[in-house]
Amino acid sequence: MKRSYLIIGVVVLALLAFLPLIIGQYLLNNAVLIVMFVGITVAWNIAAFGGALSLGHAAFFGLGSYTMAILLLDFGVNPWIGMLAGMVVAAGGGLLLSIPLLRLRGPFFTLASIAFAEVIRLVAVYARDFTGGSEGLTIPYAPGWLNMSFSDREPYYYIVLGLTAIAVLVSVWIYYSRVGYQLRASGSDDEATRALGVNTAVLKVVALVISAALTGAFGAFAAQYFFIVDPETNFSLNLYSIQPALNGIIGGAGTVLGPILGAVLMTPIGEYMRGAFAGQQGLNFMIYGVVLVGVVMLMPGGLVSGIEKLRARFRRKRGAGRRTDTTAALNESRTEDRL
Amino acid sequence: MELLIQTLVAGVLLGGVYALVSVGLNLLFGVVRVINFAHGEFVMVGMYLAFWLWAGLGMDPYVSLLIVAPAMFLLGVIFQRGIIQPIQGTSANMKIFVTVGISIILQNLALFLWGGQYRTVSTSYSTSVFTLGGVTISVGRLIAFIGALVLVAALFYIMNRTMTGTVLRAIAEDGPTAVLVGIPVKKFYFVATGISVMLAGVAGVMLTPFTSASPTFGFHMTLIAFIVVVIGGMGSMVGSLVGGVLLGAIETLAGTYISPALQQAVLFAIFIIVVLVRPQGLFGKGAGTEEVGLK
Amino acid sequence: MSLLEIENVSKRFGGVQAVDDVSLHLDEGEILGIIGPNGAGKTTLFNLITGTIRSDTGKISLAGADITTTSPTKRARAGIGRTFQVVRPFLRMTVAENVMVPVLVHTHKVSEARNKAVALLEELGIGKLADLDVSQLTLAQRKRIEVARALATEPKVLLLDEVLAGLNNREVLDVLPFVNQVRARGISIIMIEHLVKALTSVSDRIIVLDQGTLIAQGKSDDVLKDPAVIKAYIGEEDNVEG
Repeated sequence: MKRSYLIIGVVVLALLAFLPLIIGQYLLNNAVLIVMFVGITVAWNIAAFGGALSLGHAAFFGLGSYTMAILLLDFGVNPWIGMLAGMVVAAGGGLLLSIPLLRLRGPFFTLASIAFAEVIRLVAVYARDFTGGSEGLTIPYAPGWLNMSFSDREPYYYIVLGLTAIAVLVSVWIYYSRVGYQLRASGSDDEATRALGVNTAVLKVVALVISAALTGAFGAFAAQYFFIVDPETNFSLNLYSIQPALNGIIGGAGTVLGPILGAVLMTPIGEYMRGAFAGQQGLNFMIYGVVLVGVVMLMPGGLVSGIEKLRARFRRKRGAGRRTDTTAALNESRTEDRL
Repeated sequence: MELLIQTLVAGVLLGGVYALVSVGLNLLFGVVRVINFAHGEFVMVGMYLAFWLWAGLGMDPYVSLLIVAPAMFLLGVIFQRGIIQPIQGTSANMKIFVTVGISIILQNLALFLWGGQYRTVSTSYSTSVFTLGGVTISVGRLIAFIGALVLVAALFYIMNRTMTGTVLRAIAEDGPTAVLVGIPVKKFYFVATGISVMLAGVAGVMLTPFTSASPTFGFHMTLIAFIVVVIGGMGSMVGSLVGGVLLGAIETLAGTYISPALQQAVLFAIFIIVVLVRPQGLFGKGAGTEEVGLK
Repeated sequence: MSLLEIENVSKRFGGVQAVDDVSLHLDEGEILGIIGPNGAGKTTLFNLITGTIRSDTGKISLAGADITTTSPTKRARAGIGRTFQVVRPFLRMTVAENVMVPVLVHTHKVSEARNKAVALLEELGIGKLADLDVSQLTLAQRKRIEVARALATEPKVLLLDEVLAGLNNREVLDVLPFVNQVRARGISIIMIEHLVKALTSVSDRIIVLDQGTLIAQGKSDDVLKDPAVIKAYIGEEDNVEG
């Protein structure tokens, strides 16, 4: 089962690599955004494996952006190194957020994560000398691969595609690893998992830190892509905290495909709505809210679970009249035990 | 020194309303076992309704309570039936995200209907003050404070001296047994949610003479309600009162002595600190505290 | 020396004394039954043994070692396994994956852990369920998975909390032999049950809890004739037939 997914993944990646040759610069910008949001959502979802539904990931995104920008502007550090540094700083942020993560459950953790991101955002606003305050920092244009700065969109596209591919790989690797199974169990029922001798605290922290670091990488990328870093955008609650969470939940939080599906679906819809409802404030987000509530109430496992159910129904219809494996297995096990 | 006392008094008066808001959140969690992330938005709905009635019909907010209070109760019942009931038996995560979703919907609905501008109600007493012992007190705040205390006391009376309240407390303490004993629990959930949302809305109405309504105000109130619950302890009415007043004072002092823009940041900081240092609050250990992760 | 020694443990929740000065012991290879009316403190006692709740007083020892203040995770690794009254399988994971989770604590390689998990399931006669999603199982099957999962922790002591609850008579006959299979693997068991007949058919000794206090212990016949026990159960005559 894992083998075929790998092949599909490689094929999809190859197809995506050829995309720039087909579409123009304008659409390529949309492609960059979609791929970036897939990446951010996948990164968010890694924390969700362990049941942590954070609404504070903007903190990690912004930390990545600002680290890269400050290192570049104040210390002349190469952006590639800056990106790595951004990941480290974001990971540090993840460690900080782990403290409330381990102490709080449910909405109190969610609120703590929002509080966490907001406090960091305000630090960025008020530490003017360091961060440029509300106006933020501008990244100079200095074309070249070494500087991660380009005139066309194509190189940016490849970089973000690479980052997202890495995020997906990390996500898959964790999912099927020892850590992954235990994390998923913890996300499903933490107490029962601990009763089985698993140290869930360590696992949850590791997941959050990895999630944070990956998010930070995208934040650093965004700094270079948009050439500007400011608190309102790079620490935006809506864009980089709520969006990924929404995407992940709608697609299916805690699964591998869920975040990808959710982001691929919701990002273009979001972009479209923002344009279509430009005059009416709040309408697009309200629709987001409605979709979220609808999905959570009707399909709690997200689109991924909806698809699974459809496949199961399809399989049942095809299998009508002859015993399916499931029924056979169930009946056999019953008889065995009685003997 | 005079400024300090004045600010303190203003904050304490505001805190009464905060206590009222938090009591509603507490009630919903205690009985229905749902932490309503959209609770603050219901406060905002109350504010907008009061503003709307004032702007359209010239109604004084406290008069409009006659309409708004029952309307909010009804909204609570609908909320219970349509949103809370279907998710009551499900995982905690689902409950969070459904109410987060409702919060997003209400917040943006307000934005869509009334725009991002602040809406202010100005009544005859909006700016009136009176002086007591050298301290200037805002009449609007004082009335709100008294109103909030009256309502909290009324709720206390209902919960402890009436049959309805006793049943609600029984459900809060041991839901499964309540079902076994034959209590029509579902009906009482409607009562609890109805009261919770109604109290939120009423609090909003009482705030309008001296506070402006805005779409993001809801989240602000949710944050406050959560902090009050954390400070005062989940499930404790006395805790809510003390916590509310304390928070009102701190917030108002921060607004005067630090900066109005940083008020919310101070709240966030307090939340994080209290949660790390003493999660069970001052009076904590009400039913369900451990469930929620506040140990 | 007993395998599990519980000495004078108590636990109070606010105004309720859930467990009041209870002492008991479990010898190696024993099956100990616990009965008592609802609210008697049985599950609380289990929670005290697993460490989910810290006891207010008393001492708990496993194989001579004092575990009174040890964390639940460490106690699980030391050899205390438990099932829950309301089964708690890991959703959106298959049966085999559910059993893999505890195996992975000591077996780090995923494929090896999967093999061990499937092997355990086959030993217990439910190998065919391995690749099914837990949501597809009946209650009786979920109960067995819950036991299998607890067994995968290689416990010395297994606490079964109403493992027969919610099962019809036929299903009870399916699951009960399981318990003996578990003992045959060298695991000592404490079972909470309401189905007294079923319980007495497998246990060596029984203790009776009522309102947090241990009111009787001994061989099933003796205990069930104890007047204090009968009093605690007044009105539920069909349970006290022995």
